[in-house]
Amino acid sequence: MASTPTQYDSFQRQAANLTPADRLPLDSPYEISNELYGLLRKVLHDLGGQPDTPVPFTEKGEEDWEMNTYLTCECLGWRGVWNSEERRRRENDLGATQYFGLPYYARWITTAAKALVDRGLITTDELGRKMDEVRARLEGQRS
Amino acid sequence: MTTTPTPRFQVGDQVTVRDATTMFHTRTQGYVRGHTGTVTEHRPAWIVPEDEAFGIIENGRYTPFYVVRFKQTDLWPDYTGFEVDTLETECSELWLEPAGKEKK
Repeated sequence: MASTPTQYDSFQRQAANLTPADRLPLDSPYEISNELYGLLRKVLHDLGGQPDTPVPFTEKGEEDWEMNTYLTCECLGWRGVWNSEERRRRENDLGATQYFGLPYYARWITTAAKALVDRGLITTDELGRKMDEVRARLEGQRS
Repeated sequence: MTTTPTPRFQVGDQVTVRDATTMFHTRTQGYVRGHTGTVTEHRPAWIVPEDEAFGIIENGRYTPFYVVRFKQTDLWPDYTGFEVDTLETECSELWLEPAGKEKK
């Protein structure tokens, strides 16, 4: 049985309760310990070996927007705009909040949009306006 | 990047993964750094991920890649599996030193 996003959020909270986070909030400190620096000298996506609780294995069907994202990103590579390694690096560059907060393919498409902004092909306000427009259209279809 | 570089290591060589700082991008997992394994396979030479990730292709460092096999019990102090269990991962030559030669 596949878990719903809500169930998954609940699993995450349960896991967080099993291993309570014992850490200081990171707030641009004046000094950091060598231990913390040791963590920061690795890349965000390098998760292997970190302690966690078991996660249920579930098969999830691919949705149209996910495959459209995949193809868009591959075509950007095919046309020489970027390569897969640059995409992975840009996913890290999103920072922890967006990297771990967004679904897998949402991370891809956000990264692709940011690459277009970085290259001056679109502006952030154009992008935001388009996203709001699409959201309004979809909300209109659902209501 | 048209000439294929000569691999520094051969299949069967013992290599140690450098424990290098990478603030922005790498594909070399933190858990293999500082550990020694055995080269099991040559992979096609390519641009190191540290260059490719920044779009540095033409002038990127084009190096041999290797599959390196580690003993699971070497990687994880609390490993509860079998003694014979191994893990293989891929490293560019940039990350590898001959075993025993690495700086402590």
